[in-house]
Amino acid sequence: MTLGGTPAPGAEPGAAFECDRLVKSFHGREVVHGLSLSVPRGSMFGLVGPNGAGKTTTLSMATGLLRPDAGTARILGADVWADPSAAKALMGVAPDGMRLFEQLSGRELLEYVGALRRMPRATAAQRTAELLDVLGLAGDSDVVVADYSAGMVKKIALATALIHAPRVLVLDEPFEAVDPVSGQTIRTILRRFVEGGGTVIMSSHVMELVEGLCDRVAVIVDGRVRAAGTLEELRGDKTLHERFLELVGASDAGVGGLTWLDS
Amino acid sequence: MVGLLVRLRFDLWRHGLRHSPPRIASVVIGGVAALIGWAVLVPTLVLMSTQPLRVTAATVPLFATLTLLWAVLSLVAAGVDQTLDPARFAVLPVPARQLVPGQFAAAFVGIPGIFTLGLALAQVASWATHPVALPGALLGAVLGVATAVLLSRVLTTALARVMTSRRGREIGAIVVSLITLAPMGFNLLIGRGAHLDVRTLDAEPMAVLAGWTPVGWAWALPDDLARGRWAAAGIHAALALLLVAGLWWAWVRLLARVLTSPLVTGGGQRIGPGRLLPRLLGDGPAAAIAIRRIRAWRRDSRLVSIGLRTVILPVVLIAQGLLAGGANPLAPMGAVILAVFSGLTLMNDLAFDGPPWWVHLATGVPGRDDRLGRVIATGVVFGPLTLLTYAVSVGLGLVAHPVAWLTVVVSALLCSMGTAAFVGSYLPGTAPRTGGNPFAAQSGAAAQGCVTALVSFVVPAALLVPIAVPAVLTASSPLRWLVLGIGLVWGLSVLGAAVVLGGRRLDAQGPEMLGLLARAQM
Repeated sequence: MTLGGTPAPGAEPGAAFECDRLVKSFHGREVVHGLSLSVPRGSMFGLVGPNGAGKTTTLSMATGLLRPDAGTARILGADVWADPSAAKALMGVAPDGMRLFEQLSGRELLEYVGALRRMPRATAAQRTAELLDVLGLAGDSDVVVADYSAGMVKKIALATALIHAPRVLVLDEPFEAVDPVSGQTIRTILRRFVEGGGTVIMSSHVMELVEGLCDRVAVIVDGRVRAAGTLEELRGDKTLHERFLELVGASDAGVGGLTWLDS
Repeated sequence: MVGLLVRLRFDLWRHGLRHSPPRIASVVIGGVAALIGWAVLVPTLVLMSTQPLRVTAATVPLFATLTLLWAVLSLVAAGVDQTLDPARFAVLPVPARQLVPGQFAAAFVGIPGIFTLGLALAQVASWATHPVALPGALLGAVLGVATAVLLSRVLTTALARVMTSRRGREIGAIVVSLITLAPMGFNLLIGRGAHLDVRTLDAEPMAVLAGWTPVGWAWALPDDLARGRWAAAGIHAALALLLVAGLWWAWVRLLARVLTSPLVTGGGQRIGPGRLLPRLLGDGPAAAIAIRRIRAWRRDSRLVSIGLRTVILPVVLIAQGLLAGGANPLAPMGAVILAVFSGLTLMNDLAFDGPPWWVHLATGVPGRDDRLGRVIATGVVFGPLTLLTYAVSVGLGLVAHPVAWLTVVVSALLCSMGTAAFVGSYLPGTAPRTGGNPFAAQSGAAAQGCVTALVSFVVPAALLVPIAVPAVLTASSPLRWLVLGIGLVWGLSVLGAAVVLGGRRLDAQGPEMLGLLARAQM
């Protein structure tokens, strides 16, 4: 495991987010095999791949939630595992499927995260109010998160990642369970974030969404990067959906059975 | 359906064991404890058949107490096995009526169920020399064990539903404390003037009293028959049958509600802004964590039930001290035990957070702040409670050397908080699921509990010795005030060291702790 200051081979200097040869095994089975990834500043980066490809595992290792067996991860040059506090101060994280402190109200949760980030109380309170308002949660700000719908939970999780004005946003499936109206709000927020100089790394398995939002894409299959580059480079003259199926090697064969489903 | 559920219960249990060494250890420890219990109790019960009727009659109050204990222990100590959480059957087309027999049978496939069944059968042997009583003993055993199991299920299911709202948690807290005090009252009532000497023991008055309480109806049958009280036997049998039928009906009704509306936190729970705590504790991560944990003691029904478990034993000790009259060590020991228990509630604080703890990890909260915030919360919740309990004991004239005991109480609280803050950063312990049944049994908790309990009582005790010994020696000299000061400094040093060392551990092993927390909630 290299912890030194040399950038990963092929990495652009000053990348916002870079992983270098990340490896992770669970119960003796390697699921991420020396994965390297570099995201330039100011990108809207989409990480796509089939279920079980290692997207969440990779993002967890890059955000300091899961220790890699080998390899390094950097946020704007700060090593996530050698200097975690510097790296964590620069990024906002919203993992998928990891519960929040459900017994706090939405407002309390955001102010809590603000306090954990050592923000002045007045600033945290003001940003909390603004975020709740923009995300359409103002009416439910005093309701405990346990009573939120899945889409509302996604939105409040995004707000917890945004409250300290990070430079890099790492979002796992940010649009899952979100209704179209809120989805549009989130898209607008993310675009603004990137226009303001921020970098977004998001995973998704909805190709149309990535195609419409991201400028750079990486396809992960079986714990390896199968293809990466700008959206145009990657898809060529096809749609991202078609290109993705090609890369993954999927086909329609195998669903010929199930005749008993016909009613 | 019965066979299916029992098999499912067994399979789930087996799979659970395979992945969790603490659970295996729990089962082994529980099994050994049950075997030891049998080794002592079964021969005793069988030997009772050789004794005169006045001795044999003791089975009635004994088994009535056992039945009551099932209800109490499921509420305050052991919890109820939730392997077959009925809420998980909500999507299947199975009516509650069909589910209850299987759930009932599955409740026996466990160490407590089998243990109780064994004892109930041994009770039949106690009446072997009175053939006329034998059918009664057998019927009593069946109805009595059924009452015990049904009572514990109905009580926990009903209270878990009640305790989803804030008002309900308060009602639940009161009900649980009353029920917990019941066995004590029960034994005070039926055990008055009894002295345990087989040569002179006359258990008959106790048997009659216990036999006319709901938990004793079934167990009184053999005694009635042996003494030829046919009418009483008939009434007891009818009442016991009605009780089982009533509990069964109540359980079907409760399960039907669970199936159509799984346990949820009171819908749309709104929370007003709290202003007092932030003003008191200030800004920063440690204060924020402390405020969240303090509020949890009111909001979280799981913690409400832990709080009750913590307070019950000391209260019982102080009540007994009061009954004994005059200054005696019972009351101050109650305060010391309260201090130790309070501190130890910190031990599985991280398990109560569970997976959402990732927020701390992702925001890069220093481990020191995590530990400190939790210590402050425990101090704010239990510090005043412990001191108040102690002050009341002193005010009632139950404490002979108030300053010396105060030294011990304060150092005990600080040292046990320190121990728990440190151990908790290595072993997060277990907790019931967030928003789940607060009375759910914590599988695997027994073993981790045994190990940590050993650590958590031995270590605070060892840390207390350097203060307790001088406190006793100087109890009547003016130096006692100096020892109080030293005790305070010592306790705070232990606590400070625990916060720093525990914090370092969390800083170094945060992701590994998050991995443990993913499995810490049952």
